[in-house]
Amino acid sequence: MTSPGDGTPVKPPPSFSPGVARNASKSRYPDEHDATVSLDAELAETRTGSSPTSSLPATTAELAIRSASPQSRSGRSSTPQLARSSIGSPLDGRFDGSEDIRSLIIRAFSPTVAVHASEDTDELVRNKGFKGGFSELIRPFGETVPGKVVIRDSIGSSRAWEDYGVRFVNLKGFGEAHAGRDPGRDSSLAQMEEVLEKQLDSGENSLGGPISSKDVLGLPATTPLCKLFLRQLLSTTPAAPHETFGHPVASVISISSRNTAPLETLRQLYAESSTGDRRLPDWVQQEYLRYYVLVHDEERDDIAESTRLYDQMKRHFGLHCHLLRLRSSQCVVTDDDSTQVPSCEWLSPREHLSGVGEAQTLVDLGTDGTPYLFDSDVTAIKSFIRELIVQSVIPFMENRVAVWNDQVASRRRGISGRFMSMSRRWAGFGSSSRSGIGSSGGNSGNYDSTQNFYSPDSPEAILRKMADFAFMLRDWKLAASTYDMIRSDFGNDKAWKYHAGAHEMCAVSMLLNPLAMSAKIKLESVDQMFETACYSYLTRCSDAPHALRSLTLAVELLKSRGGSATESAARWAMRVMDFGLVESIGQILFMERVAACYASKTPATGAKWGARRRKAGMWSILAADQWLKAGKPSLASSCLEEAERLYAVVLEADGVFPMPEMQAFVDNLRHAVKVEYLEARGFDAPDKTPTEEDPIGTEETSEKLDKRSHRRSLIGLPATLDAGNLNMSPGARNPEDPPNDDFERA
Amino acid sequence: MAAPPRHVSMLSISNSNTGAPQSASSDKPQTPQPSPSPQPTSGLRVPSNRKTIYDRHLNRSRNAELSRASFAYLFAEMVTYAQRRVTGIQDLEKRLNEQGYPLGLRLLDLLFYRSTSTSSSALSSSSTSSSPPNRPLRILPLLHLIHGPLWRLLFQRSADALEHSVSPDTPNEYMITDNDPLVNTYISVPREMNMLNCAAFIAGIIEGVCDGCGFEAKVSAHNQPTEMWPSRTVFLLRFGDSVMEREKVLERNGVK
Amino acid sequence: MSYYFTILSPTDTPIFNIAFGTSKGGGDGIARFRFPDTAQYMNQFIIHSSLDIVEEAQWTNGGMYLKHVDTYPPAAAYISAFLTPSGARFLLLHQPPQLPSSGSTSTLGASSLLGAAGSTTRASSSSVAANPTSPQTEEAVRQFMNEVYESYVKTAMSPFYKQGMEIRSPVFRSKITAAGKKWL
Repeated sequence: MTSPGDGTPVKPPPSFSPGVARNASKSRYPDEHDATVSLDAELAETRTGSSPTSSLPATTAELAIRSASPQSRSGRSSTPQLARSSIGSPLDGRFDGSEDIRSLIIRAFSPTVAVHASEDTDELVRNKGFKGGFSELIRPFGETVPGKVVIRDSIGSSRAWEDYGVRFVNLKGFGEAHAGRDPGRDSSLAQMEEVLEKQLDSGENSLGGPISSKDVLGLPATTPLCKLFLRQLLSTTPAAPHETFGHPVASVISISSRNTAPLETLRQLYAESSTGDRRLPDWVQQEYLRYYVLVHDEERDDIAESTRLYDQMKRHFGLHCHLLRLRSSQCVVTDDDSTQVPSCEWLSPREHLSGVGEAQTLVDLGTDGTPYLFDSDVTAIKSFIRELIVQSVIPFMENRVAVWNDQVASRRRGISGRFMSMSRRWAGFGSSSRSGIGSSGGNSGNYDSTQNFYSPDSPEAILRKMADFAFMLRDWKLAASTYDMIRSDFGNDKAWKYHAGAHEMCAVSMLLNPLAMSAKIKLESVDQMFETACYSYLTRCSDAPHALRSLTLAVELLKSRGGSATESAARWAMRVMDFGLVESIGQILFMERVAACYASKTPATGAKWGARRRKAGMWSILAADQWLKAGKPSLASSCLEEAERLYAVVLEADGVFPMPEMQAFVDNLRHAVKVEYLEARGFDAPDKTPTEEDPIGTEETSEKLDKRSHRRSLIGLPATLDAGNLNMSPGARNPEDPPNDDFERA
Repeated sequence: MAAPPRHVSMLSISNSNTGAPQSASSDKPQTPQPSPSPQPTSGLRVPSNRKTIYDRHLNRSRNAELSRASFAYLFAEMVTYAQRRVTGIQDLEKRLNEQGYPLGLRLLDLLFYRSTSTSSSALSSSSTSSSPPNRPLRILPLLHLIHGPLWRLLFQRSADALEHSVSPDTPNEYMITDNDPLVNTYISVPREMNMLNCAAFIAGIIEGVCDGCGFEAKVSAHNQPTEMWPSRTVFLLRFGDSVMEREKVLERNGVK
Repeated sequence: MSYYFTILSPTDTPIFNIAFGTSKGGGDGIARFRFPDTAQYMNQFIIHSSLDIVEEAQWTNGGMYLKHVDTYPPAAAYISAFLTPSGARFLLLHQPPQLPSSGSTSTLGASSLLGAAGSTTRASSSSVAANPTSPQTEEAVRQFMNEVYESYVKTAMSPFYKQGMEIRSPVFRSKITAAGKKWL
């Protein structure tokens, strides 16, 4: 993720990067307004042409930032249009910040596919160097399905997705993960913090670099640390009764060609998973797709034999079968056609800490730490996964959604619509006709309040599952309407976790639905839903991880919406801090997020107000302070730089705050960061660097003149309109100046 | 308040200030834009009757009439003063304009203060009855403010006309006409300076009002005599680009 | 309730600062901010950051008193704003006193914290005096602002005062203190 590539021994922290570059930029482009447009376009071209961030020379990056700032405020008619039109343009670099996060969130809710491999399969794979067996082998490949995946939504329109994926989990681990959940309530969050800390310690150097990369508009890019946090958070939550994202949509049952009694083994594996000791907990619906795989050992077994067996399997088990041809010997890096196995993107904090999927597991095998596979194996696995997903899993899910939508949901929302929710107490649905005795509570009676779950075939559970399926199929419209339909039912049943989950996902799917973008009115209801979800999770269920997840999703998705939603986003981020859901590093990360939220709010078209630069700047400063206290001066320094950039537009002169104590605080902070940074690099902190003071000094004076003109109309300064008036009205700025009566001296 | 010697009273005041942790007295030395006033802070002279400006009511002189003679004399002196060492008529008008500008800024505050407290005689009384007038957000309300209340405050009558430029090239130009400006009543301009209009002083006041409200503008006074009104003066207001742009935004947003 | 009051010139220069506490309900008029060690600069940061909102409100609301415009949740700081026609801004930061129940929970577990945080909002909305957004508070702040405005206009009328200059008159300060005592 973060390549610790830069080996430069002492790179000055960004915030004290020599002022030369800045000055140069100023003198080269004295008229910033006219310059910005062309400059921007120029820059955009270089961006599309060359690689996104790193190749930009430092001066250009600096330039972009500087020149972008006044344009957002000056409100010349040309600039906002430029900003808007570029949204539609293919400059993906520009908005990748929020798109990235969106995609990350979408991919976090991928279907789960359980892997149930026979002993001999695991044995075969272990020979190849994968200790965790078959599921470990295919897991990294499942996270991104090669090629486009076409999904049809409920109204029949298709859409192709490039970034579709599934999560493979080992069926053996499934029950254990769930059992180990309760003590993990707090610890999963603590573990996350630990991972972050580890990442920080190991990646201190490499993290400093990417942070300074910003997109062209000058919005702060999402820091890698923040992405790590988000990914961690979203892979923390284990399978739970109240949501079905962790429940297997399908199960891969695999045997190998070494097996002596293949069909019996397959039957036995099936039986184990449906009735035997590998049976999933009661709250998981058992009718998931079974997919049968025969792993053929290319090196030891006869392909003709395997093909015959495969044909037999197809006859017995239908179409959901696959013949996977693998070589059984271990591949090492020196082999000709070796390919590095991608690392897993979605590792839970626990796995991160125990080092699963990382180098350690293989060290004892004498390799250099990263697992390798033969090219042919990789191709085989990829095509297997593609076939599994595209031909079996997706159609299965589409089909289930259609069936449930038809049988359960449409009845629920049908003619009697609302009436139904009341009358269902008497009527009941489908298989579960246990009708509650219609008391005032409106309890459907399907909720088992002693074990805290709905039985999987109750209409509530099915609707939830259908909504989750729709969500995983990225049909957010259907998902949102389904969640919306059931969310109050859970409240009536006092099934609080379900209640929270439905509210959470309803809001999330509404925010993800790109078509609902225009519907501004929804914002309050979305906020309200998050509020409810958070309250139910935290207060009623004491489920901090889920609460944190829903609030974090709220922050990121609202932020990506832009406009007034960003303020909501910032508010939620503050709530997270207020609730104490995250620990020290998390707190700082959220401070950065608040700053990012505010920074992403842009002024209304043509207007000079509406941005939240000062707020963003303040939060960046606070984050810098906290990073410093946490002993991470390089992160502090990049926050400071960010703050400077944000403040540049609103302050009269660079780095000069109007309020004395603010000024003192910022000055001290700057100094402390500099000292610590240099100390951390093993340098004696010089008391003062004259090279730094000088450019800033000259900058002040040069800034002062042109900055003021930006503020003029807003505040009503006569400013440069008339030289004489300049002295009259802002008189206090320079009271030493002789009063404007030079003609008196005549 | 009793009447202790003034220094004692001063001390007691500043003591009560430093009691609060945030007292500004501590941060005075490090103010970034140091504004040391010419006289030391402690040198405040309190009038012998202990009435500082803060103890006088702002509406006291509201209806007070000023002798025209004394005004005419004062204004004549101002023109004379401004005339020294000027390079030309334009320069003179500029100086007059500058003299008016700060007056405009102040009048603005006073104008609003007085209209706030008209119905409620003092601030202490419950002022649910009077809702203060709105700050002008658009050009038109601003112009009405100048044309009406401001003119009445200065001259006890409204201005005579308010026009918008008809030329599509200059949508940012507005004109306020005064048929007989008070300042020019007792001034006869020499023939060789016939372009001069001493109402540039008023133009300065208008400019101050516009700028104070956040409307960057240039205001100038022009002679436009008619048969009936030989000293008829037109004040030409030219608003800046940023104002016109904001005007469009506000119009879109439905701000009146 | 603790207050921090600032007058900013149209160019964002602070021309007057004062911190004081409530004198209502037996208050002694001394400001006790929730985080005394950081209040010095944080109050200024919060006020400065609220200018973002004030600038926006300035062109949508033509009134002089803009009411409660902004909140800084981490310190429960509320900002009320008053704009003079000539562009000076009066900004009042008010912070309700910290309730004993919510003290020192910031490091405890999440569940206990939620309770505390929940109770902060609930409790403060139940007691009128401590609620910064109640109509009573709004009205009191408005009266306070009007009184400050009067003193400000008197200052501005002085020929020795130029717009944007720091106001140092001890009489002005005592007037503001008195207004604070009277209304807040």
